[in-house]
Amino acid sequence: MTTVRRHLDRLRETGDLISVTERVHWEGAVAEVASEATRHNCPVTLFENTSGTVRPVSGVYGGADQFASADQRPWQRIAQALDLGPECSYTELIEHLARWETSDIDDVTDEPAATVRGSGDIYSLGLPTTSDGTPLVSLGLLVVERDGVTTWAPIRGRAQRSQTLRLSVPESVVEWCTSPADVSVVLGVSVAPLIAALQGWTQGQTTPSVPNLAAGLADVSVTTAGSRTVPSDAEVRIDGRMNAVESSATEGTEPRAAWELTCETATVDVNVETVAVREDPIVPFTPLGEPLTDDIHLMCLVETAKLFRRVNNYWGVSPVEWIQLPVEGRLGFCIVSSEILYAGFEWQLANTLFSFSDLFDKVLVLDEQADPTNLARAIDDMWVKAHPANDWIFSEPNASSAAAPLYRSDDENGSRLYINATWDPRWNEEYIAPRVTFETAFSENVLESLIERWEELGLDDLLDERGVSTDHE
Amino acid sequence: MTASSLRQYLQTLETNGDLHRISEPVSWNLEASAVTMLLNEEDSAVPLFENVDSARLVGDPYRGTQRRPWERIALGLGLPSDLSYREFYEAVIERLKNPIEPVTVSTDDAPCKEEIQTGDDVDLLDFPWPYIHAGDGGRYSNLHTLVAPDPDSEWVDWSNHRTMIHDGETSSVLLLAGEQTPNLYYYKYEKRDEPMPVAITVGAEPAVQYTSVMWIPTGRNEAEYAGGLKQEPVELVPCETNDLSVPATAELVIEGEILPNERRDEGPFGDYFGYMHGPRRSMPLFRVTGITHQTDPILPFCVEGTGVGHSENTTSSMEIGCVGPDATLGLRTAGFDVECCAPWKSTPRTIYAISTEKTNPSYLHDMANFIFTTWGMLHVDFFIFVDADVNPLNQREVLEALALHADPDADFHQFGVETMPKVPLNIYQTPTEKGDIQTGTSKAKTAKAYIDATSDGAGREAQPTHDVERRYRAQKILERAGVESSELSFVDPGEATQ
Repeated sequence: MTTVRRHLDRLRETGDLISVTERVHWEGAVAEVASEATRHNCPVTLFENTSGTVRPVSGVYGGADQFASADQRPWQRIAQALDLGPECSYTELIEHLARWETSDIDDVTDEPAATVRGSGDIYSLGLPTTSDGTPLVSLGLLVVERDGVTTWAPIRGRAQRSQTLRLSVPESVVEWCTSPADVSVVLGVSVAPLIAALQGWTQGQTTPSVPNLAAGLADVSVTTAGSRTVPSDAEVRIDGRMNAVESSATEGTEPRAAWELTCETATVDVNVETVAVREDPIVPFTPLGEPLTDDIHLMCLVETAKLFRRVNNYWGVSPVEWIQLPVEGRLGFCIVSSEILYAGFEWQLANTLFSFSDLFDKVLVLDEQADPTNLARAIDDMWVKAHPANDWIFSEPNASSAAAPLYRSDDENGSRLYINATWDPRWNEEYIAPRVTFETAFSENVLESLIERWEELGLDDLLDERGVSTDHE
Repeated sequence: MTASSLRQYLQTLETNGDLHRISEPVSWNLEASAVTMLLNEEDSAVPLFENVDSARLVGDPYRGTQRRPWERIALGLGLPSDLSYREFYEAVIERLKNPIEPVTVSTDDAPCKEEIQTGDDVDLLDFPWPYIHAGDGGRYSNLHTLVAPDPDSEWVDWSNHRTMIHDGETSSVLLLAGEQTPNLYYYKYEKRDEPMPVAITVGAEPAVQYTSVMWIPTGRNEAEYAGGLKQEPVELVPCETNDLSVPATAELVIEGEILPNERRDEGPFGDYFGYMHGPRRSMPLFRVTGITHQTDPILPFCVEGTGVGHSENTTSSMEIGCVGPDATLGLRTAGFDVECCAPWKSTPRTIYAISTEKTNPSYLHDMANFIFTTWGMLHVDFFIFVDADVNPLNQREVLEALALHADPDADFHQFGVETMPKVPLNIYQTPTEKGDIQTGTSKAKTAKAYIDATSDGAGREAQPTHDVERRYRAQKILERAGVESSELSFVDPGEATQ
């Protein structure tokens, strides 16, 4: 199991983590620095010196803007945290998430690593705060049990008082467990439980067996707190009593987590009884409302995996090479790469995606050769390969509004758009323009000669540091 | 100081450790291009091939880095290397506002006249024009300034049209009707059955090269704008075999004429869309009457097709660094309240993003109408309008605006459906639309589109607002924590507001 600590160690080894050792106050400043870090494709940022109990860390499951970075992938850190290996491709990751399998949990420990300390004052943890000093909770889980079944659900919220958390959770979870209930809130857990919680309780799902879903994604270790099964690697565990409450008017203006677009939410208060922490706890958090944040990355992958599974099980064949909700589009834009089986297939494909997701109302259809790791090139095809008159297809304005975009928030009907950037299967081969790439622009003889002459042309000195020799050899 | 010649520019690159000399023999036949493409993809140094038959080649000399595509354009203009995106734009705009008249120098004082060949001595094949992509129709000169006069006035147009070498005396020139120089040819010279005098200036100084890709208005003296960019007069020298004048510091000048009603097959070519464009088509014939050049000339070329996606090449960088500021100035001069007009970074020429404070629909429609009916009607298919606080050069920000603020029901405007003229280069055209044409313009008309991705206020209040100084302090903390300085181009309060 890749705990947060192990994950951070690996990131540090590969130069993808920086430690901020200077004093940064958790009140406002930590979130501000984290915002800048995610906005500008910085490494994972660990705050070592914030005066609180915890060490906040941001960007743990996020990644670089794919437009800006040719050698970093937005999903790299998540694949790494799932132990899928450094060479895991985007498609392999999606296929892994799309299996949506449950497994038994083999690793059940007796004692939680986190131990109860102090008075249970949430403020003393030093969680990053908003500018008004309210400690924020993100990238955590609600742990709740009913009839011997424990589930884990996504949360987003803040400290209401020193011993009360006010959280947004999927409404279906509250309905399932019935409030009030004894719960734990865990922070600093590995990525598999976070993903499984999204798969279990968002996108219209009501799947309480989240711990088993997590075990289907990666090895997970659990222990117990009261009657509940909790991830044993949690850095912070807050135990208390949950009550459903009416949400206040001001909560509508707070930045929400990406998962909240995908389901109805309810507001609950957790009256804190005990707070348990590990030694020098590390708590991943995400500055909500910013671009490229961890919650967007996670939800984009979870939604993509759902679509990939459903679409490729629809026709009896599996023509779709990959689907992507680019994090840059904040769930409001979907790209699909597929073999075009017949004329009109791209229309069918786009509308199938619209049927399976209400997050977006724009789909870009690419041909099967498109590369999921080069978003810039994929979007380029939208501008150069889709005929502006013929290939930008708008529906009648009777479609329901999509959840991610910020227009038509009053639920009025409107249009959907798909952009067909594939070759028309009726065209003769001679009209289909081949791509210009390093491999297609030069004959094998030229490439072989170049490799042989690598050193004498001085390219070894110039490019070795960038790993180009390896790539092209 | 602005570089006054290509050589001086390359020296500056070398001083900065940014020029890679290759003294080993390298073939013009794909090999020079392959090395250049490799270095382009890696944002590495500019390659100077010093041993390619009778001349030297330089691959994509003005290509910027993926992160800062304008950087080498700025270097050629003597601007500071650490200019922010906004500062660079404003500096170029200021220079364009202050044109300077050129001066004429004598042949003895013109470097491009060190060697002069006319009459039977002329042979285009004496020079190592590169064969750039496997599958190209031939060898090309594709990074030069084509000088051509209006027969009815004193106006001389500078532009850039690729030229495919056919033999020692002839080449074909890609003239797409609708652009300034092709229009002179098709609708004046050829109609009168007259040859068009032309000079192809290869390896001119940076300010000249930059000006030739800008949309300088018809009738204006482009040499004056080059002087403005350079901040001193450009030196011109008369040609040997026609009445044109050319930049004196050019590496090589091909003098000649484009003949009326003569065509040669041209292409296919791996074009700026990132695709091999075909089919082969007829283009006007250029007959050479003289060649003058510096001793051991340096011939620049561009590996077209590579400036898409994650890599830059010279034309994509020039589109951003030259055409972008020029278009911004053009729109402001026309009275539009434009923060910035910039090409989509990885799809040069096809789409531009424009940030503006004024976002009401009628205003945007008027601006789209102005653009599409003046300089944007041929190559540019799309414009995206975004809020003033969205950086048009940041594709992430523009895609986010497109995803979250462009309503398919209300914000996508197909403009002039099936009424707009069309160049035949677009790969999306149907076989019927591509047709078999004579004048370089597609038979078919098509549509353009503009997209209103401004927020209209919706949802933007919910976004966190940031005090610039706080953001700056946060960035400095990251810098002190060890974030690579190259990643920290954003450490600039001015930049933070974009």
